[in-house]
Order: sequence, then structure tokens, then C-alpha cells
Amino acid sequence: MYRYDEFDHKLVADRVNQFRGQVERRVSGALSEDQFKPLRLMNGVYLQLHAYMLRVAIPYGTLRSEQMRMLAHIARKYDRGYGHFTTRQNIQYNWPALDEIPDLLDELACVEMHAIQTSGNCIRNVTSDQYAGAIEGEAEDPRIVSEIIRQWSTFHPEFTYLPRKFKIAVTAHKNDRAAIKLHDIGIVVKQNDAGEIGYEVHVGGGQGRTPFVAKKMTDFVPKAKLLAYLEAVMRVYNMLGRRDNSYKARIKILVHETGEEEMRRMVEEEFAKIDASEMLTVPQEEIDRISAYFAPPAFETLPADSQAFSQAQADDADFARFVRANVVAHKQDGYAIVNISLKPIGGVPGDATDAQMDVIADLAERFSHDEVRVTHEQNLVLPHVKLDDVKTVYDALAAHELATANLGLISDQIACPGLDYCNLANARSIPLAQEISERFSDLDRQYDIGELKIKISGCINACGHHHVGHIGILGVDKKGTEFYQISLGGAADENAAIGQITGRAFTEEDIVDAIETVVTTYTDLRADGERFIDTYNRVGMAPFKERLYD
Amino acid sequence: MTDYHLVIDGATAEESWIYLDDDAALSDAPSIISLTRLKDQAYALAERSAPLGVILRADGLGKTDLGEDVRELAPFIDRLALIAIHFPAYRNGRGYSAARVLREEFNFTGQLRATGDVLYDQWAMMNRCGINAFELAADIDLATFQTALGELSGAYQPAADQNRGALWARGK
Repeated sequence: MYRYDEFDHKLVADRVNQFRGQVERRVSGALSEDQFKPLRLMNGVYLQLHAYMLRVAIPYGTLRSEQMRMLAHIARKYDRGYGHFTTRQNIQYNWPALDEIPDLLDELACVEMHAIQTSGNCIRNVTSDQYAGAIEGEAEDPRIVSEIIRQWSTFHPEFTYLPRKFKIAVTAHKNDRAAIKLHDIGIVVKQNDAGEIGYEVHVGGGQGRTPFVAKKMTDFVPKAKLLAYLEAVMRVYNMLGRRDNSYKARIKILVHETGEEEMRRMVEEEFAKIDASEMLTVPQEEIDRISAYFAPPAFETLPADSQAFSQAQADDADFARFVRANVVAHKQDGYAIVNISLKPIGGVPGDATDAQMDVIADLAERFSHDEVRVTHEQNLVLPHVKLDDVKTVYDALAAHELATANLGLISDQIACPGLDYCNLANARSIPLAQEISERFSDLDRQYDIGELKIKISGCINACGHHHVGHIGILGVDKKGTEFYQISLGGAADENAAIGQITGRAFTEEDIVDAIETVVTTYTDLRADGERFIDTYNRVGMAPFKERLYD
Repeated sequence: MTDYHLVIDGATAEESWIYLDDDAALSDAPSIISLTRLKDQAYALAERSAPLGVILRADGLGKTDLGEDVRELAPFIDRLALIAIHFPAYRNGRGYSAARVLREEFNFTGQLRATGDVLYDQWAMMNRCGINAFELAADIDLATFQTALGELSGAYQPAADQNRGALWARGK
């Protein structure tokens, strides 16, 4: 994992002091709330329905155990004993006091963490694949370029007051777990025929009220040229992105209104100008320095199979279920990737208590080479666990309600905070997610249904990713009553697609039944081995519509 | 008499320029005119010996409010001693790109000035993008300006200033 050098440390400390000054100027009245707003936002501080909310950055979703312990400590000391992991691999605290936030940030800085650019109209915290460095088949560890992008985009003087927020995601695997095509910029690390590493760049994806899948701008940018290319995209956007209407200000609208071809032409033209100076060509020594931090941990040479692991599954049906749903093959023989679901039946998606975070930190330290990952689906991962240790890890997780065996299943839902916390929401999301998970709580039924991604947003801003849920649910407000609209066929992976709305919305009383109708329609129609999304793509909307409305 | 505190290259400075409306007659005083006038009267302006400046406006130009295109200044760069970039609201960061294009693409060496909603927390960013003159609120003293510029001790990335950025400077 990347470690700060003196420069990184100093800059984060500077930022904390700067923010302390900004808070003081706000408290003294020197700054109006309007003037303070973009400054606090740039540092992850939102004013929510009940209180200030702080979003802490977890760059590309990677944490060391001491960092996870600090997140637990902050939940205890400054919040109400829990934190909420978000769809951008960050963590949010819902109850910090504004005047305590500078001290909180000081504590975070001690473990090389911060809240820089987790909100505001700037380049946000870069996200990546939670299996980085652990899964077979990556062109390169995507965190190397993610860290370079993190540094380049931090306090970028030209791109701090963009028309709107700007999100970058990176993957290096054919299976996209970072939803890169739904980001302002999505990057695929790949190898060309000559064996050189470079980047495929997608631009203009996004959700919100006008969802778009990103357009591929270029097939291959050589490694040394990536920042020049990104700066070209950013400059075109900063100069031509709309500022008259915040709903039309994202780069996806610019790409849509300009057209893919013209956008590509403008980016190429800008790229040629910027690249001519070679000012943004990162020195090889620096790339090597950063790459070294992401070298594989010291894996032991082990057999591919573990007798203890197999035996434990035979002896314990619950453990076998956990392995089936939550454990993924590792690239290194004798190791496994262990997913920790933060979606217990009836729980709040993405929430973890301070005690749970401490347990996970301890497990990471003892069994996973000190690493934890956060996923955009609001779960956690222990990326490097020996097969021999999986049962021990499972037992510890189970003792803290962290062993729900539902990864990728119907109860593993994404939900935004909704009307319970958010001042934008029209409807509640969390209680609905809880009801759905209780309706489908039977694990055997969940396995029978198979991979099915339900995503719930409490308003059109789509923080719960409803557009790209296999089943998406959108809360809408009609004359003061909460209704829920269903969409089908969305996907956030390498086959990214925007879901189609089924028809009129359902009441709070009817929505869970409607979801059940969609699910049984699928199980009635599916061919052998078909997942929900496969069946939907084969049969289309009509049969679902018929069962829902006739 | 101006209602702002002008800081140029980190020091308080007297205003020696006037902003000229499009219908006001040109005098021998150093004058800042609109881009429209610059384009319309290019030949006449060329014969004038007094220093010439232009303001790049950011709004009031129609529905989508993109502001004027910095690259329209390309043919006139050599004749301009000052370019003022208008920031209609501190949130509107379009002018940062204009500043870098002027410094890095056009190699503009004259005075690059920020006018409009130019506030404490933006000065350092503007400075890094090549802006060297600031129209500050009248009650802001020079010490405050310098504090703001020094809040962050370093930078990761190169821009229009001398700072190469840590990604490039490490190991050098």
C-alpha cells in the first residue's frame, strides 16, 4: 500500500490547518454560509437534514488495519458509534459537530487519511476494483495509476471550481467491479500487442436524473501520457461545460450535447497542445517509486487446495454457504479473497459499528497482510486470506454479525441514505431495503434466485445507483406520498446498461410485492444457468410488465 | 479612485489602468477594453501607442453562459500588456483554464489580472494558474493576501507557476 512521504504528510497537515482557519472564519462570521459552503464541501463536510455530515476519503478503497482502527475510533469519539461505507468506497459520519471536525481531521492525518475532495465541484476521490492485486488476470495493479491520479488531482489549481463534481474510476480487469462506464472518466488499464501498459479511456458516464453510459474516447493512451490526456479532457470540460444549470453541468451532458465525435476531436486537439510540452509526463523513477508500494505482499508458497478448508465446509453448512457466496478465488495458490457483507438481513446497507470495524482491523492484521478493501457495493473485503485461515476468519466475523452469506444475492442491495438522513430525498430507502431483505431472508431461496442486484435511490439524484440495478427502485414523491418506481435491466459492470422503467410507480404497501412478482417472473422464465439479467436481456420487458400490471 | 485593493506580483500597487466602456472614446491612458471592441477595431488600435488591455468576460453572453473564448485572443497577444479575467462568481472556475492557456500556450508575459468575485480561498489557485494581479476587496490587507497564498506549502502537479509538483520533483 502507498505510504506518505514527508511531502504528503505536510500537505495534509497544511490542509487541516487551512480548514481550521476556514471554520474559525465561519464561526466568527467573517465567512457567510454561502461563502463557507464550497470550502467545507471541498473538505467533505455537508449540511444534512439533522446535522453536519463528514465524508472521509478512502483512496481506491484500500485501507491498512491501523486506518480501519482509526475509523472505528472516530465513530466512537465523534459520532454515535458507527460509520456508513458509501458507493464511492468512502466512509461517512452523520453526526460530527462542526467545531470538532478540525480535531477529527488531525487524528485522521496521523494515519495518512483525510477528507480532501470528497465533495465539492472538483475531482473526487478516485475509485477502483476492490480485488486489485488479488484477482487473477489484471494487466497491472490498478491502484498504481489510481495513486498517481490521486496525487495529480489533489488541489489541482485549474480544476477545483469545475461546473460540477467529477468522478474517476479505474479497473484493470475484464470484469469491471468499479462501474467505470458510469463515471465522468472511466479508465481500463490494459496491455497492447507490444506488451506495453496503457489506458483505455471512457468519458461522460453518470447517473443522476439523466443517466448515460460513458463513451470510449480512446482505445489506448500510453502510460507516460495519461495525465496529459486527463488534463485535456478536464480542460475541455472546464471551458465548455455548462454552468447555467446544475442539472446540465456534468460532463455527460457536454458529451451528449456536443456529440461523441466532436468531443473526441476537441480532446485530441487539447491533448496535442498539452502533451507537446511533455510537462505532464511522469518520470519513470516516480512511477517506479509508487509501483513499489503495490508490490504483492509476501505470499507463502502453498498448495492450491487446503484440506482444513474443505473439511470445515463439510462440517459446517453455514460456513459452506459463506464460502459459496462470499469467498472468491485468489491469484495466489492457497489464498482466497474474503468478502464481508455489510448487508445483514434487516440491517442498514453499508453501516458498520465501531466494534465491527475494530474486529475487521484485527482480522486484516492477523490474516490478510494488513489490508482491507471497501467496495462500491458497500461491502468490505479481506483480500489476502490463506485458505487454511478462512474458517477462523469466518468464526470471528460470525461472532460480530459480519458473516451474512449474501454477496451478489438479492439481499445485497445498494441503498442511498434516503429521507432518513438526506435533505434531497423524496422517499425513504433504508426501510425499503430492510423490508426487501426480510422478505427474501431465506438464504436457500436467495441462492436459488442467484445473482441479482437491487439498487435503491430515494430521489432522482440516483446516489443508490437505481439506474444500473438489475432491479432498480426509485423513490418519488407524489403530493406528499412516497411512491416507488421500478426499472429493470440495468448493469454497472463491463456490460453497463441503464435500466428501463416498468411503468407506473407502486405505493409503499405494494412495492415489496411488486419486487416479488418481478423475481417470480424471472424464476418462471429462466433457462438453465441464466441469471436474472440474462433472462431479462433475452425475454425483454414485456413479460415482466404483464405480470406487474395486468 | 478604485474601490478595490490592487495587488500585483505580491505587492500593493497603484491602479494605472482604466476600464473603458465600448462607447467611451479611447484616450492616451492605458485602457482595458472589451474583446468585442478589440476584434472590431483591431486596425485602429494597432496605431495607438498607449498600453492596451482586454477583459475576458465570463457571463452576460447568452443562455448557456459559457463566457468568452480565451483562444480568440490569439491574434492579439503581442499587442496586449494586460488581460483581465472576469470571475462572475467564485464558484465559476472557467477563468483558471483561460489563465493557463494564456501563460502556457500563448506564452503571455504581461499582467494577468483577476477581477470580479475574487476571494481569499481562491487566490492561491489563481496564482498557480498564472494570474499575477488581483483586485481584492478594499479592506483586505497585504498580509492577509500573503497568508492565503502560503496556506498550502506545496503542490503535486505542475501548472503555470514555477512549482513543478511533487510527482515530478521527487527523486530529482
